[in-house]
Amino acid sequence: MSQFWLSFGFGLVTASVLAIAAVGLSLQFGITNYINFAYGDFMALGAYLTYYVNAEIFHIDIWVSMVIGSLLMGVFAVGVNHFLLSPFARRFTKSFYVLIVTFGLSLIMLNLLYAIWGSNVRSYNMRIEQVLHIGPFLLTKNQLIVMAISIILMLLVHVMLKTTRLGKSMRAMSDNTTLAMTTGIDTRRVTTVTWFLSGTMAGLAGTVLGITEGNITPGSGELFLFVIFAAVILGGVGSIYGAMAGAVLIGLATEVSAVFINPAYKLDVAFVILVLTLLFRPNGLFAQPGKA
Amino acid sequence: MSAFWYYVFTLVFFLFDYFILAMGLNIQYGETGILNFAYIAFVALGAYVTGAVSMPNSVGTGQQYIFGWGIPFPFNLIMGGVAAMVLAFVVALITLRRLRTDYLAMVLISLSLVFYDIVNNYVRLFNGADGLYNVPEPMSGVFHLTLNAFVPFFALVTGAVALILWGVMSRITRSPLGRTFRAIRDDPDVAAALGKGVFRYQLTSMLIGSFYAGVGGGLLIQFGGSFNPTAWLPGETFVVFAVIIVGGVGNNVGLLMGALLVETLLIHLPAFLPNIPGHPGLIEYIDTMVVGVVLMLMLWFRPQGVVPERLRRFPQPAGELANRDGHSVAPPEQSHYVAAITTDDSEPKDAQ
Repeated sequence: MSQFWLSFGFGLVTASVLAIAAVGLSLQFGITNYINFAYGDFMALGAYLTYYVNAEIFHIDIWVSMVIGSLLMGVFAVGVNHFLLSPFARRFTKSFYVLIVTFGLSLIMLNLLYAIWGSNVRSYNMRIEQVLHIGPFLLTKNQLIVMAISIILMLLVHVMLKTTRLGKSMRAMSDNTTLAMTTGIDTRRVTTVTWFLSGTMAGLAGTVLGITEGNITPGSGELFLFVIFAAVILGGVGSIYGAMAGAVLIGLATEVSAVFINPAYKLDVAFVILVLTLLFRPNGLFAQPGKA
Repeated sequence: MSAFWYYVFTLVFFLFDYFILAMGLNIQYGETGILNFAYIAFVALGAYVTGAVSMPNSVGTGQQYIFGWGIPFPFNLIMGGVAAMVLAFVVALITLRRLRTDYLAMVLISLSLVFYDIVNNYVRLFNGADGLYNVPEPMSGVFHLTLNAFVPFFALVTGAVALILWGVMSRITRSPLGRTFRAIRDDPDVAAALGKGVFRYQLTSMLIGSFYAGVGGGLLIQFGGSFNPTAWLPGETFVVFAVIIVGGVGNNVGLLMGALLVETLLIHLPAFLPNIPGHPGLIEYIDTMVVGVVLMLMLWFRPQGVVPERLRRFPQPAGELANRDGHSVAPPEQSHYVAAITTDDSEPKDAQ
């Protein structure tokens, strides 16, 4: 039983990382209505930007570096949207083109990371934390901080979506872009801000993934991509709250399953859940009408 | 046989092999509009099965793999193709009926990553990360070729296989089946409204394409004699997409052109460049980035590819076809498909 609770604790950590990533992906999908297949590489680039700030030039605290790295990723995402994706999305009605472009972008970014930092495993410059016993869980201080960051971020996203003008505009655009435009919402500005948020959250997710896993590699984001997709599809694509719930369920399921099966396959459990979702509830747990 | 010709025939092999792979993806993406981001997984399955059924029983070989039946050359290739079809059938049953394009692409790319993970970790399947090696040379019992003679020989065999598959593919794309595929690509709802069972046609297209993928993969493992997970990272799917988009979606001649430009010139020729000292692999990384950039530039400036899809002409009433002088009227300058792409600028995007 203690084994179970230990895994449950790790599951909460994975869920925290996953929630940041899944919400970032969902925000952008809701607005632009196409999936960003380079999202995993956005995460990896964010992780490496943090690494660059943390261990290569400034040698400053990991959490400060994380903020800098994530904001840089946000700026990068805005640039990608402005110069690459939004021209393609505007020019071609069929979503094929922009999807292939994001797929290509993923390949370019992955190889860029390999070209700059090589295929070696890197780790952040941070103190080795003592393991704390909290109830039945066994967690490090860093893992607790990651969980706190995730919870605070989810609350902030919730407050933003429900109370601010920007959040309401985003929800309106997610429901119907044309209608939102006719009511006077500056859709371009909202799209830009959304890409900034999505990029920042990708960078944040990539970094906290690196912190909790203890290392980063250029491919780490891409291998995590299908777990994010599983969380997003389980929650219902385009639904922010669904993405949060999906992240918690997938995070717990992958880690707890490691008690029963070979841990090498724990992430594949996410894919099994993805397939089951498609078979029995293809629109996800919190389906939005008209999105699937 | 000098080293030069050895390299040339290696390039010729990859040209023909990627032509086969491109035809398979083209019928799925280019003709039917299925965005198969897991294509390389079908290629890999074909390669592994081709290798594993042709190898002797795994006991005592120092490798672990299933099958091991010692099946000779053309038959193991067919089994590889059929194995890829079986995977496609299962995948199509789960995904095709329920999902719109980008969900399908999400699930397929996940499949590709998970399949990679499983083959890597479950060593008893196809020898895990080490991959299969010492795969028996095809027709070694008949010809007894040295390695230098084998490369041109097998390049020509691949050419022959590509020729047969090309003939079959031309027949398919020109048949009513091919027309239905293109109708579904252009608008699945309209095709469904005209009474075409979209799912059945998409399934058929997936199966045909996967057979080509499996055969192309099988030729890869037979050519190299080994195959391991580094050969089919999920990004490899993108290379095949680059081949068909650069060459010309929906045009079989264009695919051969794409295979020549992308696979032979962009991917394999730079592999012969000397490494930059102190940066192992740098050329390969830059090369892959160049492929990505080339593809984006092609999509933007010439989305129809180097050799565009031909306008298919169908018999029309004689009065419409001929003008007063009795000469036939020239067809419209641009094909329907190209026109559909270029007019997208002016079309308002439908609210989704």
